[in-house]
Amino acid sequence: MSLKTTQMHESKAVLPAEIIATILDYLPIPDLLSFARTSKRMQEMVYEDSRWVRRLKSMGVWNDGEARKRFEDALRARREMMRIKAEEDGRSARSGTNGAGGVRKMSMSTTLFDAGIEQERQKRSLEMVSKTVSPVVDGFESLALSPSVTKPTQITRAPMLNPEELLDIFSSVKSIRGSARVEYGKIYAALAPFYLDLARSKSHMDPVIFRVYRDPEQQAQMLAHLQLFAKSDWADGWRQREEKLVTMVGIFENAVLREFEHGYEAWDIDGRMRRYAHVLGILNGGHAAIELFVQKHPILTDREILHNSMDCLNQASSDSIALGPSRAFLDNLSQKLIEQADIINRVFPQGEDVLQILLDKVAEDLLMEYDATLFDEAHARSIPSYLQAVSGIFEQTMQFGLTLKPSKNSRDDFLEKFKSIVAKIFEPHVDLYLQDELDYFKKLAETEVGNWENKLSAEEATTESYLMANVNRQADKKDFLSSFKKVVMLPVNAVNALPSLPLSSPFSLGKSTPAQPTPNRSSLAPAAITSATPRSQSPGSGPIERTGSPLPSEAPTDELAAKAALMASKLEGIRSLFSIEVALLLTHNAKASIERASKFVRLGGQTGEEAREQCEAIFICLLQILGNRHIKAGFDKAVDHLSNYNPREVSEHHQGVAPLVTFLELVNVGDLISQMVDVFYEQQLVANKLSDRNDFLDPAGAAKKKFEQMLDERVAAGLNKGIDVLMDEIEYICSTVQMPTDYNPTAPADGAVPNVDIGPTKAAQQVVGIVESHTKMLTGSTDKTMLDVFNQEVGLRLFTVLCKHLKRQRVSTDGAIALISDMNIYFLYIRTLRNQDLLQYFKALRELSQIYLIDPKHAKEMATIIADGDRFHGIFRAEEVYEFAERRADWYNVKRDVERAMYGIGCTSM
Amino acid sequence: MAAEKSSIITLQSNDGVSIDVDRQVAERSMLIKNMMEDLGDEAISTAVPIPNVNESVLKKVIEWCEHHKNDPQPAQDDDSDSRKKTTDIEEWDQKFMQVDQEMLFEIILASNYLDIKPLLDVGCKTVANMIKGKSPEEIRKTFNITNDFTPEEEEQIRRENEWAEDR
Repeated sequence: MSLKTTQMHESKAVLPAEIIATILDYLPIPDLLSFARTSKRMQEMVYEDSRWVRRLKSMGVWNDGEARKRFEDALRARREMMRIKAEEDGRSARSGTNGAGGVRKMSMSTTLFDAGIEQERQKRSLEMVSKTVSPVVDGFESLALSPSVTKPTQITRAPMLNPEELLDIFSSVKSIRGSARVEYGKIYAALAPFYLDLARSKSHMDPVIFRVYRDPEQQAQMLAHLQLFAKSDWADGWRQREEKLVTMVGIFENAVLREFEHGYEAWDIDGRMRRYAHVLGILNGGHAAIELFVQKHPILTDREILHNSMDCLNQASSDSIALGPSRAFLDNLSQKLIEQADIINRVFPQGEDVLQILLDKVAEDLLMEYDATLFDEAHARSIPSYLQAVSGIFEQTMQFGLTLKPSKNSRDDFLEKFKSIVAKIFEPHVDLYLQDELDYFKKLAETEVGNWENKLSAEEATTESYLMANVNRQADKKDFLSSFKKVVMLPVNAVNALPSLPLSSPFSLGKSTPAQPTPNRSSLAPAAITSATPRSQSPGSGPIERTGSPLPSEAPTDELAAKAALMASKLEGIRSLFSIEVALLLTHNAKASIERASKFVRLGGQTGEEAREQCEAIFICLLQILGNRHIKAGFDKAVDHLSNYNPREVSEHHQGVAPLVTFLELVNVGDLISQMVDVFYEQQLVANKLSDRNDFLDPAGAAKKKFEQMLDERVAAGLNKGIDVLMDEIEYICSTVQMPTDYNPTAPADGAVPNVDIGPTKAAQQVVGIVESHTKMLTGSTDKTMLDVFNQEVGLRLFTVLCKHLKRQRVSTDGAIALISDMNIYFLYIRTLRNQDLLQYFKALRELSQIYLIDPKHAKEMATIIADGDRFHGIFRAEEVYEFAERRADWYNVKRDVERAMYGIGCTSM
Repeated sequence: MAAEKSSIITLQSNDGVSIDVDRQVAERSMLIKNMMEDLGDEAISTAVPIPNVNESVLKKVIEWCEHHKNDPQPAQDDDSDSRKKTTDIEEWDQKFMQVDQEMLFEIILASNYLDIKPLLDVGCKTVANMIKGKSPEEIRKTFNITNDFTPEEEEQIRRENEWAEDR
């Protein structure tokens, strides 16, 4: 489609179509259409649909989707038509024509040459207006027939006659491919007269628009239309025209805004305010009115609600903060804002969320200032009060958001928006706060542990002796152990039964209302106070006193708190190693910190993520201080005690090996703390989604695992030592308590029946007692597998010790009864361990003891037994049994007979 | 950079005349600029043939480039929608474009070929201004367009677009 075909005579220069197209873009509409009348080719270029679609698009009234749909509908209708026609005609070559028509249609010059389509085209009315390419007569006829063409003509004739109709000219615009020019024509006819008139006008009184329309609403509507229309004007000089329009709109806007302001000052809500807000809304969304409304809003200067944020500090003690005044402040503010929401509903038109803007402003001017002064002052005064202030105010602010009522223009995400406002308010504080929270906790925890260590080293000397003296009170110990175990089991039960209760209740009460000092706080006291009491007592004081004191006079709010208190007092024995109450205190502090910090997680985004990480950091810090500084040191010390233990140096021997008992208690306490940590982790971090249990990279989870691992390692190391110590003790008992006469009773001189008392010897009873008490202590406190290993080891070692011990004894036939009873008691004990492998050993031992019972006369049978490996389940070889047999008191008498029986004649030479 | 600016390029019109121009001036033409970038310095030594442009038009175009050599380069990606941003023709350009119509078209064609968008725009605007306010018949005369409408057809188009007439 170059100009060559238009035959520009005499001119050598021939402009290509693309340049003509560019030139046409610079033409004003009337000239453009004059140009269309010069020739068919020019008309085609001017009428090019995309040219007009672009103008419609620039005004935002062209909808591609709608156009496509119309086009497809039309296409379908036409296909249907063709199909029917094809059926009627039987078959014909018309399908080819159809295809050609389809292609043409794409290039916006749709014409069907079939005469039969003529009727159908009329039915289709606007959609398929045929254009110029068609044979001249045909095309013009269709244009004349089409109502869409005649309609703009009417509008053109009388643009000023029905001005009301023009006010919503844009709403009648349709997106139809092929008739964009016609649609644009409608708009142009309606608006161009006003637009051009306005562009020519000299003063704001001139434009005809203000004479045609008297209502401010209508004027605003028309001006808004013109602003839109101006976007489709890009002919030479558009800049001046648009400037003129903008100036005019500005003048108009100012005038309306002044009216609005008068109304605002008179608080004429439903009258002038409402009316002019709507006018401005029509004109350009009404930003000016909204801005004015918000900027000059009385709420911002209302003395009544402006409280002094210092009240919160002045009404509280030095380390805390009173949140009452701030609550009152926020409640008041919320009230006012709800009233405002109503007023906004009445004044402003649909569209802009005015309440949101007002909220932003209020947050920025009132809340931010309130908070900033409060936080700064609190920070200067004391860190604890600062921490409480930040998280307390944050909580209140979130609450405040919930009490607000959205206005009718508010979107569904009103609360989300509010959240982001809160985030903005707290943004400058959160980083500092989170850092402080962690530092504060770290410092507190370290001080706590440090204090405890100091106190300990001061008492070191007394404690040492006390530790040893502690053995005196075995009865108390047992009593303690039973109640202790209950407590050990408790957290687990508590988790199942009362998910929210463990640990949290004693502190959360005291924390959430920190303004009220004593009554609630005392709930945390049992742990601290009662445990402090026995500690201050002299170490030697009796057990009765102590069991009495830990029961708090006031009913404990929480079972666990009571138990913990009880236990803390009972744990005197290991208080030099580590203290459950310190652990409890640390956990509680960590909990308070995490609870405060975790509120910010709700904010989401980066701040939320930071808050979450900080919570984990607090948890990790807790574990590190608790684990590395406190428990690990305690365990190390206990292991030290164990390795220094020498039974021979200890004067008194009772049922327990003191350091081992202490150590086993330690294991129990360690396990309790571990469970505590676990509960804490579940409750505080996992349940609140601060940490993901399944994420193995999660630092909190990793720290917890490390902590547990550390604990297990310590326990394992200690148990290892413990077994050594236990065996030392048993050997010691065996060597000291076992009388030589136990198994080899000397026949009394008078020949009376010796030693009627048939039963285990005292030594055996003691050994079993000591082993049993120690192994039982571990039940339920450590890992099952570790317990099994421990038991196995203890059993094997015990077996070795007993074998060794037996080889040192001399056993007579009479004493064999006692020995068999001893072996029986060992066996019975081992059976309680439910370890089959172990049982075999002791079964063998029991069998073995029977060789001492055999009468010397039956040497042959004895030899059979010695050689009978099956009898001992392969645990003893014949040689070993033989060795044991040597321990018979009458061995030298029977040796020859036995050997003969065993090895036959060959041995007689011996 | 300084050396580059001072270098001279020889352009050769289609009627065989060589014209020396500053490289900076010549590179107002995106065609030449791209060519220089592709060929490098060796292109400087040989004359660059401009086959579609005769001497007088080429001189005119160079005159324009000379005057506008310090203008910022137009953004590469300006599409049709940025047309809104085009400004009115500046005074110098208006005077520059006061030439006969044949020369005007030649300039437009040359600037189109050489890819000098600002000059092309000025040319098109000038043509648009020539059309402005003219009747169809006057336009036909100005641009030598043959009317291939019957009077009825022309009237039909006028009626169709009556909406644009009331000013």
